[in-house]
Amino acid sequence: MTDVPQLVDVPGLRWTDNGSATLSEPLLGLADRLDRRFVAMAAHWQADELRFPPFISAAELERIDYFRSFPHLATFPVCLDHDEAGLARFTAGDPVGPDGRIALGALAPSHDVLTPAACYHLYAHHRGLRFEGCRHFTTKATCFRRESHYLPLERQWSFTMREIVCMGTARETAAFLDRAAALLDDFVADLGLRLDWAPATDPFFRPSSNPQYLMQRVDPTKHELLFDDRLAIASRNLHHDHFGRAFSIEAAGGEPVHTACMAFGIERWLAVFVRSFGADPAGWPKVGT
Amino acid sequence: MTAGASAEAAAREALRGWVRERSAAAVPDDFDDHTPLIASGLVTSLQITDLLLVVEEMRSAPLDPASLRPGVFRDIDTIYATFLADRLGS
Repeated sequence: MTDVPQLVDVPGLRWTDNGSATLSEPLLGLADRLDRRFVAMAAHWQADELRFPPFISAAELERIDYFRSFPHLATFPVCLDHDEAGLARFTAGDPVGPDGRIALGALAPSHDVLTPAACYHLYAHHRGLRFEGCRHFTTKATCFRRESHYLPLERQWSFTMREIVCMGTARETAAFLDRAAALLDDFVADLGLRLDWAPATDPFFRPSSNPQYLMQRVDPTKHELLFDDRLAIASRNLHHDHFGRAFSIEAAGGEPVHTACMAFGIERWLAVFVRSFGADPAGWPKVGT
Repeated sequence: MTAGASAEAAAREALRGWVRERSAAAVPDDFDDHTPLIASGLVTSLQITDLLLVVEEMRSAPLDPASLRPGVFRDIDTIYATFLADRLGS
């Protein structure tokens, strides 16, 4: 838990204790302008934009052992079993108890998980394909990560993530991240924000026994752009051929494609604006149109 | 050769042997103690846990994963200097 006061009574923010925020003006407009700025950054590489559903097949994420690495973060969309008698029992009782808990009863088999990171869709979408050259993509998703506690705009169960993804050779993906970081640094400087990049690891379940965590410790491939040394508002991630192998995506020579991504947590950018410049939009630096 | 030097040579040879045996990639002909292990793909996340266990066994002491620093598994020379030199001595 952080000792920093929570963001409350911010115009344009309605917080719900289940870890979700409703945005209206002026925060909503700022969120849209920031996202357009990141899309403009993606245009630097003529990135193709894709829009995906809010959930992804669990079988796809099983390819990267997601559920052993991050079981604590996963949120599953579940449905009542279509059995007529079960549905009748559900409706005959109190579907929602006084404490807000749903009396679910028998559930239909689940095969999906609510999107935990926007870029996963892109790897699943291109599974089994071969690229003749370096490709770039961008997508925005509402992402879901179950946490032990939530903070308005800073740590939410559902939040908005914009990502720019490069699929190419090792050299191309490394160059992409260098260029993306430079563009982002310029943007941050223009805004007058003081942020710093720092090596990071993903929040693995039982990390000490997870080889991917060990690998991230000794060979940092993830760096976060931190506000106040605590709040990551963007991350750059070099995956090597991890996703290329897992999803059988090939480069021109038939070898697994290398991938890298730059990710932006939109609500966290809003938090940084409010903490840095105040809640009054008159004090905010110009982001764009 | 002193006992320490002998122990160092044996440890380095054991690490080279482990890489040759367990590497997921083709080990280059000029493979030596300065050959990048991770950057070259000789050691991937599939082998990193086993390599950690090997180093722990050689130094007869556990390693706290949270204390691992970037670059400590860069090559065999770095592994020896970081984890083994003070235990085996030379």
